[in-house]
Amino acid sequence: MSDGLVQILEGNTFVVSDDRGDIEASLTDPTGLFSFDTRFISRWVLTINGQRLTALSTDDLQYFRTRFFLVPGTGTVYVDAQLSVIRQREVADGFHEELRILNHEDQPVRLTVRVDADSDFADLFEVKDALKKKGRYDREVVDGKLVLRYSRETYCRETWISSTVRAGIDENGLLFDVEIPAHGEWKTELDVVTSDGQHGLHQHGARQHRVRRDMARGLEKWIQRAPRLESDWKPLEPIYRRCLTDLAALRFSTLTMPGRALPAAGLPWFMTIFGRDSIFTSLQALPFAPEMASTTLLALAERQGTRIDDFRDEDPGRILHEMRYGELTAFEERPHSPYYGNADATPLFVVLLDEYERWTGDTKLVQHLEHAARAALNWIDEYADLQGNGYVSYQRRNATTGLENQCWKDSWDSISYRNGDLPGFPRATCELQGYAYDAKMRGARLARLIWKDPALADRLEKEAADLKRRFNRDYWVEDGGYFAVALDGDGRQVDSLTSNNGHLLWSGIVDKPKARAVARHLLGPRLFSGWGVRTLAEGEARYNPIGYHVGTVWPFDNSFIAWGLRRYGFRDEAAHLVAGIMQAAEVFDGRLPEAFGGYSRGLTRYPVQYPTACSPQAWSTGAPLLMLRVGLGLEPSGDNLVVDPALPSWIGHLELLDVPGRWKRVDAFGRGRVDTGRLLAR
Amino acid sequence: MAARSGPAYRASMPAAHARSASLASDPVSQFFGMLAQPGHLTTFEGESATLRFDLLDGQRTDRWYLTVADGEVAVTRRGRPAAAVVRIDRPRFEAMVTGRLNAQAALLRGLLTVEGDIAALMMFQRCLPGPPGSRGRVDPITSRQVMAERKQELSAS
Repeated sequence: MSDGLVQILEGNTFVVSDDRGDIEASLTDPTGLFSFDTRFISRWVLTINGQRLTALSTDDLQYFRTRFFLVPGTGTVYVDAQLSVIRQREVADGFHEELRILNHEDQPVRLTVRVDADSDFADLFEVKDALKKKGRYDREVVDGKLVLRYSRETYCRETWISSTVRAGIDENGLLFDVEIPAHGEWKTELDVVTSDGQHGLHQHGARQHRVRRDMARGLEKWIQRAPRLESDWKPLEPIYRRCLTDLAALRFSTLTMPGRALPAAGLPWFMTIFGRDSIFTSLQALPFAPEMASTTLLALAERQGTRIDDFRDEDPGRILHEMRYGELTAFEERPHSPYYGNADATPLFVVLLDEYERWTGDTKLVQHLEHAARAALNWIDEYADLQGNGYVSYQRRNATTGLENQCWKDSWDSISYRNGDLPGFPRATCELQGYAYDAKMRGARLARLIWKDPALADRLEKEAADLKRRFNRDYWVEDGGYFAVALDGDGRQVDSLTSNNGHLLWSGIVDKPKARAVARHLLGPRLFSGWGVRTLAEGEARYNPIGYHVGTVWPFDNSFIAWGLRRYGFRDEAAHLVAGIMQAAEVFDGRLPEAFGGYSRGLTRYPVQYPTACSPQAWSTGAPLLMLRVGLGLEPSGDNLVVDPALPSWIGHLELLDVPGRWKRVDAFGRGRVDTGRLLAR
Repeated sequence: MAARSGPAYRASMPAAHARSASLASDPVSQFFGMLAQPGHLTTFEGESATLRFDLLDGQRTDRWYLTVADGEVAVTRRGRPAAAVVRIDRPRFEAMVTGRLNAQAALLRGLLTVEGDIAALMMFQRCLPGPPGSRGRVDPITSRQVMAERKQELSAS
């Protein structure tokens, strides 16, 4: 988020304003009230006697509530204000603003208080790409409320603005003639409600108040329900609390499942379902908030692909990539209704389903999602094998608004040969084969145990073994001692060294004898920065320590790599990644950015944040949580939770109490014994 | 449940949808006929709901009921309680059942309204065909083409 901007949010509704609480957006400027990917307020400016105000302080009381302390005037010289203005804003179905003006003089004052209001009803995509609108704007006053409206054919979006104190309403806003007695106070409450022009607005007011009450209570409950953490390393507790609070803020409810929440991808621009991000975050949060995983699975299954649709890159069985609700999606000018262009969420869907069952024992959900899981497994073989060579590949069919790289490293230059050349399409990146392998193995477990289909289980295991054998032959870069990042359209290795190797360990596709060399690379000087594993190794042509997927360190990536290292028994190596990411989390006050610079730790001393639009980002929020699981060595085994800690020595004693799962609640204790000093000093 | 191989999944959509481009004069009857005929769609397994479709055609309202019971599909014209009532102009519905209009987009645009359980509509849309002309395949692109395109974009900017 840019400096000086204040944001609050709930669900997919959020407000971004300046530090006075004012909003003055242009088409390309990311401030405003947004809901369902549409901007409902683009101008919201408070003046007193025609004067703007100055912020004394801004308090983020909750993620959904902010309070602004203001005084009249905009001078740089300090004001001896006779008035104070307190503006408190909460997000619900729109926002609610309490406006209080305090008179500090010993005589009454008369004031003209004005709130300018307007909306451009921009689609989030338009804000990003600066596109022009095609519809019509109008505004009217209905029952003392100001209604701003945008319509294009049958598409309609409205903003309803009202005040508890009677206001003079004109087309540009609300006007109050105010008299405040000596040392007195004046107050009004403003409601801004968003609408698609179809639903009765009358219920909204009552609903808003209920929602507001629930939000405050919900956060406390959410934190109480999560395991409790105590540690000798004091920064860990605030890091943990920050992660839980941010995860709560990222909860997103779909229209079809009100009252249930899944993790959206990031705040504020990615407050929607992303297949990949929601799955990865659900995996990270399993020991802490397992119910998120079940909602993610249900929501993704509900929208699972069923047909061939080239515009949306949809196939039968495919799990969606991204869902959007704005005007461009509505008019099919963008494919996000939903868009399916990813090649990893479908196998990962099966991985999450199995991991969820291993933790919770919720066989009911596995039964309920049997068809979806079978369709996902079927997609891997029937629709994802674009080259007929037994590997999962991707190539977009929507060449204008589809995604080129349909793996988590989705920027244009993320997949390259050592010399920097970019491969053609289709591309079969290595981690996709790992996920496919894992999906088949886990699918086999579910088929045998829960669906009672041993024939399917046998077939999946046989296919997995065959995939593993071929993969270890075809992707292994002999002169490097690691796995190529991809095979190109000719079956040639895309031979650069990348962090993707860590995901391969996580998936289990790596032959044991090769794992040692892979682990050595992950903690070696080309990939390991001292804070974490770089996305692309130093020495590759496209390596750039501040390149999005070509040299930065991603906390989420590292958390899965650490899990992978543990899977293959590299306890100390995993503890190093736990150490690096936890120490970075401390620097960022518990809120890890999506990525930070891949500079060597010895060079910059502090991790250098990569500037991204979203904070918090869901899978960065989940990274410390997964690191806790990895460090404590938490692993379900039948109806028990195994605890097998391998933690950095400086963490000292660590306990995680009341870990939920099929064992009901279990406490996990660990003591740090791994000396991480030498490598982290790099 | 027995293991299903690939072809069973293709059958999750009525086979005749593959030929949707050549639908005859009344695509609506044909669509509902195709749903009712096999009587079972795997994509609806585990799902149960009744939807009522009100197709607005000038002064007339054409009413159809679709009932799903764990994958079993029944279509009637006679009244029964419905979890969701979907209202839409008949030509728009024809576009939807022939793959020319996406249901989610139609909902966002206000071309259709749904009263009641929106999850039932989400379930229903799974049996709609894809756009005519979608092939599921595109021609491969070589590394040389990718590099040339990048160069072009760079020089353009």
